[in-house]
Amino acid sequence: MNVLIIEDEKALAQELEFFLTNYNYKCEVCFSGRSASERVAVNLYDFILIDLGLPDYDGLDLLKEAKKTNPEAACIILTARAEVYDRIKGLDLGADDYLPKPFSLLELHSRMQAITRRKFGLKHHIVELGNFMINLTDRTISYQTNIINTITKKEFDLIAYLILHKNRTLSRMQLSEHIWGSIVNNDYDSNYIDAHIKNIRKKLNLYAQPDWLETVRGLGYKIKINA
Amino acid sequence: MKLETKLTLFNTLSKLVIVILFVLLLPTIIKNINQNFADSKLRKQKNNLLKIIKSSGKDYAYTSYTPLKEEYYSLEEDTTGEHLDTIQNEARKIEGDTIQYRILSFNFMARNKKYLLEIGKSVGTIDETTSPLQNMAFYILIGMVLLTILADQVYTNYVLRPLGLIIKTKLIGRKFPNFGSYVEVKTSTSDFQYLDISIHKMVETIEQTFQKEREFISNASHEIMTPISILQSKIENMFEREDVADEVKVRLLEMQKILNRLKSITKTLLLISQIENEQFLKEDKISVTDMLNEVYEEISIRLQDKNITYEQSVPQNWTFVHVNKFLLFNLFFNLVNNAIKYNRENGGIKIIGTQENNLFVISVIDTGIGIDAEDMPYLFNRFKKFRQSLQQDSFGLGLPIVKSIATFHQVEIDVKSEKEVGTIFKLNFPSQLVATGL
Repeated sequence: MNVLIIEDEKALAQELEFFLTNYNYKCEVCFSGRSASERVAVNLYDFILIDLGLPDYDGLDLLKEAKKTNPEAACIILTARAEVYDRIKGLDLGADDYLPKPFSLLELHSRMQAITRRKFGLKHHIVELGNFMINLTDRTISYQTNIINTITKKEFDLIAYLILHKNRTLSRMQLSEHIWGSIVNNDYDSNYIDAHIKNIRKKLNLYAQPDWLETVRGLGYKIKINA
Repeated sequence: MKLETKLTLFNTLSKLVIVILFVLLLPTIIKNINQNFADSKLRKQKNNLLKIIKSSGKDYAYTSYTPLKEEYYSLEEDTTGEHLDTIQNEARKIEGDTIQYRILSFNFMARNKKYLLEIGKSVGTIDETTSPLQNMAFYILIGMVLLTILADQVYTNYVLRPLGLIIKTKLIGRKFPNFGSYVEVKTSTSDFQYLDISIHKMVETIEQTFQKEREFISNASHEIMTPISILQSKIENMFEREDVADEVKVRLLEMQKILNRLKSITKTLLLISQIENEQFLKEDKISVTDMLNEVYEEISIRLQDKNITYEQSVPQNWTFVHVNKFLLFNLFFNLVNNAIKYNRENGGIKIIGTQENNLFVISVIDTGIGIDAEDMPYLFNRFKKFRQSLQQDSFGLGLPIVKSIATFHQVEIDVKSEKEVGTIFKLNFPSQLVATGL
């Protein structure tokens, strides 16, 4: 998939490019609004990531242009200006999602995945883990023919996030940012992820040992899926 | 004491003192006036009599008095040698009665004879008007004093009204930090105009300073967000690399943890400044129970650690209206989070909704370590950490968030706490924020 990254902070743009290339996206980077405006007029993209705070261009104008020339593209706004007003305005103009800076790269990937799934209407996205079947569309876990209904919403979110970034170690902080990211919280303690994982294991252990859910000592957790 | 009362009291007292002084002096004054009047009358009578005597040409001695002995005349040959022309009080014996008279004595020559003329007026008659005059003057004065006091009262009331208005609208009515626009208080008193404009200028300065602070926090936070974003991305990318050893990754995590701390503080400060700048809408409607259930869902995992019980009893039909859901959620999340953090092993948390008069009260009650009475006044201060906050993983912005969200919604917070027993946070929601319909 083709991604256009419009971000005037070069260091950030490079990190975005590096990360997304790693996830097999084809990236192009623009450091200014003017060059981005030329680029969207000529090329077609699947994703356009726009930083609203461009020094030479009004980000919202650029969004309008992009929507006109690339109607199929999914636009994600990246901004340090987290005002509600911008948020509404951006979504009104057809932005598909909105990520306030600073955001986790994993979160960006998960939003892009969600948009892809929505756009291509993947009906049954089922992942097989040992004898467990995880249905990411219906958000259910089943063992053989039994649906396990003890798993809570939060726990499922954790599993789904780990599956999305399969075979990679995710730190507790990355996980808690995904789970509690929208809450403006007084503390930065991420130990509660351990409690969640413990609960998940306990619930799944009633059926079979979930070997695929690995603890990476000192670093975090990962779900191993052999392709 | 109110200025108006003070002024009226002073007016009344000063007038009373003047009136009493005047009434006390009145007898002497009236006596003087009467005496002068009597004396001039005696002189007139003397002149008239002399004219009669000189024109008649007779020589005679003469004594007469009115039947009630009020007046008395005598003309007789003078045997003394000295010249007399005096008016003084003397006693005369008339028909066995000794009566005090004001007597004019005058001697003169006529036809080679020396005569002494005496005209008297009894002192009693002279003084008889004194007492009624005094009474009348007293009543009239009292009446006038009462009238002026009333007039003073009405006038001070009228003249001081702008002062009350200035205090009410410019000082008490002001809600920090949103002052609204300047409305001139109508008054022709220049002192009040001066006061009004001075207060306005002061408020304007405060407002500007406050506005600058808010803008600074907002701008600074935004500017900090981008570098944090870059650092976070770099750390995340490095963390994913396979050629980076695990020991290095552990250190990357430590860096990430510190970066997270910076991020949380910045995000929180930004949130508080956005709330204070009123950049949030209050248009959401949500059932109180639903919201508390959502909070519970997010936070229940944290109860597990200390085995804390959680109880919720809020009327099912309560619904928040005209609120910001995101903000209220954060308010409750932070309160419950604190209730967990400062709780004891096997402790409990209760959330109770009660209706008190016009208020909808939601109390968050914990069995925690409590708050020192001396710390109470600083409870909502930013970056204030207390001795008992044992955990090192907080930075003292939880309650400031709670406070600014509550203030934004005009919700009052009462805190009651007892050491080693627990703390109660009472949120008083005004009736316009809670609907009880189904």
